[in-house]
Amino acid sequence: MGNLRLAAFLAYKSIIKGSRWTLTLIILVMSLSFANLILTPSIMSGVTDAINQEQINTLFGNIVIDPPSDRYYLDHADQIQNKVAQIPGIAGVAPHLNLNAHFEFNWQARTSLQDKDQSGDWPVIGIDPLKEAAVTTIQQSLIAGSYLAPSDRDRIVLGVDIAGGNQSDNQAFLTLGGVRVGDKVRLTFPNQLQREYTVKGIFKAREVQANNMAFLTTPELASVLGPGAVNDRASQILVRTLPGSDDKQIIADLQSLGINGQIRSWLDYGGGVGGIVSSFSVISSLIGGIGLIVAGVVMFIVIYINVGHRKRQIGILRAIGINRSVVLTSYLIQALLYAALGIIFGGIILGYVIKPYFDGHPIDLPIGLVSLTIDMANIRNGIIGLLLAAILAGIIPVLNITRESIIKAIWGN
Amino acid sequence: MIKVHNLQKIYGKGSTATHALKGISLQVHPGEFIAIMGRSGSGKSTLLHLMGLLDSPTSGDISLDNRKVLQLSTEEQAKFRLSHLGYVFQEFSLISEMTILENTYLPSVGLGKQNHHRDRAQNLLQTVGLGERLDHYPHEISGGEQQRAAIARALINQPKILFADEPTASLDASSAKIVLELFKRLNRELNQTIVMVTHEPEDRKYVDRVIWLKDGLIYQPSVSPFSEFESALARQLPVPVLFDKPE
Repeated sequence: MGNLRLAAFLAYKSIIKGSRWTLTLIILVMSLSFANLILTPSIMSGVTDAINQEQINTLFGNIVIDPPSDRYYLDHADQIQNKVAQIPGIAGVAPHLNLNAHFEFNWQARTSLQDKDQSGDWPVIGIDPLKEAAVTTIQQSLIAGSYLAPSDRDRIVLGVDIAGGNQSDNQAFLTLGGVRVGDKVRLTFPNQLQREYTVKGIFKAREVQANNMAFLTTPELASVLGPGAVNDRASQILVRTLPGSDDKQIIADLQSLGINGQIRSWLDYGGGVGGIVSSFSVISSLIGGIGLIVAGVVMFIVIYINVGHRKRQIGILRAIGINRSVVLTSYLIQALLYAALGIIFGGIILGYVIKPYFDGHPIDLPIGLVSLTIDMANIRNGIIGLLLAAILAGIIPVLNITRESIIKAIWGN
Repeated sequence: MIKVHNLQKIYGKGSTATHALKGISLQVHPGEFIAIMGRSGSGKSTLLHLMGLLDSPTSGDISLDNRKVLQLSTEEQAKFRLSHLGYVFQEFSLISEMTILENTYLPSVGLGKQNHHRDRAQNLLQTVGLGERLDHYPHEISGGEQQRAAIARALINQPKILFADEPTASLDASSAKIVLELFKRLNRELNQTIVMVTHEPEDRKYVDRVIWLKDGLIYQPSVSPFSEFESALARQLPVPVLFDKPE
């Protein structure tokens, strides 16, 4: 205890009466190192969150209710929607009627049935435009025309990668080749029924899969399937939860309602994203690890120079009988204090400068608007990493000097 | 108090090896104030460092306060230095970030003597004439005052032996005189054992005995190496004590 007290006393005096510039430099290095340790994985998490959010916004909502595994449709869709809407934390419920169809543009110009030009197969989804607006953000992604109205019957809204043209990221031969608002497209459904629709709107979401979908109103699509075939039925019901809600709890609440269907989180559909997320984790760990090594080396150099200037004093302390472990502990305390201050100031820089900046100016990437997602695991890893780096960077130079003979430390010979 | 037997110190290896000490044996009795003198490179500082456990000999044996100190571990030697030995170095050796008072009581904190260490440090600083300088930092006082503070620090744990390595080398004549008179007072009034390395001929008047070193060996000069000072010294001083104090 006496040794610890003495080490703390030496550390205190060294910090209080030491060079202000050195102290400032060390804390600055620590702060920026900590901010860097958190920043990189937070950007990666932000990218992942942006991808996830786009999937929620355009494809799935937060929760998806599917038919039982042996059925194509959910029965009593209205009743299910009413039940779901009663659960606390629900922002919206939207039934979908899903079909695949063969799309054709400029079909009048075709000379042969074998001519595939300007056609293709895509999913077409029957929606209630008003309910859909409470769940997905497709209507906010229109780049031409307007969204469906509940009464629309011969109008269709196309994803940009179906319509094609300059705004599509797809190769022209994979699209309809440049459909514009007001153009007519012909859809052939699985029951061989053909109908022509006027393109009312074209949307471009950040989620590629969404851009390969088309939307009709549910009554229109139901009429395709025949009178009464899909009465009060849905292929899926998408559920949007309020921000900050506990989706797992809501799923549990929904499951307790006795709905005859499969209730899943959107995550269960995000298999493709899972690979990206794990790749990002690896990249993030690599960058974080390199950042940590760089931070450790910088700290080592700064502390090494600082300790080098105190070499004679360390020698004198040892000469008068101050135990080597006391000197080491004293520098360990200093290193930990530097790291703690670095964590505090780095946290302030992150929380009050970098995070607000990213929130106000998110990075506009094709996959979405990327802001920082600072989670507790990143913070914990950053704190542990910086403390370990500080301990190593602080102790190794002192270990080297205290291994030298006292005479050499004092007089340099 | 101090027994040194056949002490040797070789720096380097092979053809570059330097024999700093070639087999020194000596004794210092309790309460003695001795000076180790000799030309530059004679091995006097090396001998002091070895006796003060600041360095390890190549061979030989050292007993301090009846303990075979070379058999102690590094940690035990550090504790022995803290509790039994005091040091005053040639250059000012105070910790620059601490006040004179803190510098003085630092070794007592190391020894775990929490009680009264500040009071004792204050008393010691009063004794060495620095009662008004307690809260000053080393750079705020003169070299002579720093050296007196270093003496106070060396005495804080009531050491059995005080080692001083050319303590006046960096001081002007008046400051050097104050320091040496302080040593003499300590020796006389507290019976403090003091071993001092010096190359100043006039310092002999303060000590009980001089150990002369030449080329790493003790020798007994037939004529004082400082013969040019002899006549002056003879007029002022009793005959220097050059041999062991009679039991």
